[in-house]
Amino acid sequence: MMRTLRALLFALVAGGMLCGNALAADKLIVASDPTWPPIEFLDAQKNVVGFDPDYITAVAKEAGLSVEVRNIAWDGIFAGVGAGTYDIVASGVSITPEREKAFDFTIPYYTVHQIVVTRKADSYADFASLKGKTIGGQIGNTGIRVAEKAKSGATIKEYDDVGLAMQDLLNNRIDAVICDSPVALYYANKKEGFNDKLRIAFHTPEGESFGFVVRKGRKDLVEKLNKGIEAVRAKGIEKELLAKWLGE
Amino acid sequence: MVPERVAKAEKKDWAFINAWSLSLFGAIAALFTLCTLWPEPYLDVLSFLPDGLFVTFEVTVLSISCAVPLGLLTGLGRISKNRAINLLASTYVEIIRGIPLLVQIFYIYYALAKFLQVSGLTSAVIAISFCYGAYMGEVFRAGIMAISKGQSEAARSLGFNRFQTMFYVILPQAWRTILPPVGNECIAMLKDTSLVSVMAMPDLMQRGRSFAAKTYLYFETYTIIALIYLIITLLLSKGVSFMETRLNYYDKRK
Repeated sequence: MMRTLRALLFALVAGGMLCGNALAADKLIVASDPTWPPIEFLDAQKNVVGFDPDYITAVAKEAGLSVEVRNIAWDGIFAGVGAGTYDIVASGVSITPEREKAFDFTIPYYTVHQIVVTRKADSYADFASLKGKTIGGQIGNTGIRVAEKAKSGATIKEYDDVGLAMQDLLNNRIDAVICDSPVALYYANKKEGFNDKLRIAFHTPEGESFGFVVRKGRKDLVEKLNKGIEAVRAKGIEKELLAKWLGE
Repeated sequence: MVPERVAKAEKKDWAFINAWSLSLFGAIAALFTLCTLWPEPYLDVLSFLPDGLFVTFEVTVLSISCAVPLGLLTGLGRISKNRAINLLASTYVEIIRGIPLLVQIFYIYYALAKFLQVSGLTSAVIAISFCYGAYMGEVFRAGIMAISKGQSEAARSLGFNRFQTMFYVILPQAWRTILPPVGNECIAMLKDTSLVSVMAMPDLMQRGRSFAAKTYLYFETYTIIALIYLIITLLLSKGVSFMETRLNYYDKRK
């Protein structure tokens, strides 16, 4: 029993020292939940890739820091940053008042809207023009709620996933699909078989902003990252990343 | 020893307590209790569902009216002496029985959309009636085979042709064997219409799913959905057993 405890204690201390070393070397650990392509996802080699990993790496470089992106499940991702297990969460986290009470956020680095995608030939420009038409979306998604709130008089069809709705849009069974902007842009601009047939019709004015999350009180880190974000923007790196991952 | 004047439970006194009435009145009582005691959320769930219930009925009725004739044709094809027809019917049964209904629905709605596009309702009716047509074909075949050969021999010797023999002599008798399993298939079909929600058809199940996704009230929503499915299938099964009794009229008189 004593021996197990001692082993555990040793492991903890060793782990702490490793962590300490990582921090001492100014290498920051970034947590990311790679289940949201193209924001962050696992490539064939199971590396975390996507818009967020690239963006935070660029930001860190501009701020004179170095980072290592780790695959952390969404469940408990906030608990981990609160406890100091890692330094930054870069995982498409929307800035909300509740979260701002518990964590510090950088300035927004990306804004998502709800985007309505239609076929190339159609010219819908707002919800009113979709009156009597059919809008598809993913069941339980915010897009569905936005479409319902718009009270456009359109029928709303809820699919198991956005891909099926996009497929039905191609097949002329529905007239529009509403979803988060990265997904919409991915289908309309990038995905082969879809990008030549679909177009972005319009998006909602109000959006949700993504920010990087750090532990409450680490003002120094927030400042550094904010400067990094500004530099990434000023140098046009952001534009490159948007083009690379989101086709904007 | 039980004194004679003590009222003993007669069989007919307990007749109303059976599995069917217990389930039906239990379900209705549960639904009623939930909705009166906690109108928020249960009544909200319930009032969200009626149009979904209509779609479920629509799909069920259309599918039954396509699947029963299809099943009859398949059954006749399976006992046909014409090799080509027999082979066609048998192959249809073998293929359809080997593919899950959910896969068939995906196939007809999403996969075949590459070549021809049919609406959600049409896809649903085609998929379900093709699937159940195959199962019912086997029921029809078994029912027809169960009628003794003497019946058709007698009819033929009285000058009936093969068509008349089948429709005036064999099938009316076979119905009594066929009806209970066909009724069961219809009940199973009603439950399987819940699969059409994957085609974004706003049926009872889909209505429930979107309500739950919006409100996160998973327990409340699916409790109500389960109770409603239970109540309608119980009513349907009563309908089937009522028809059975009517068809067994001559048997009972003996």
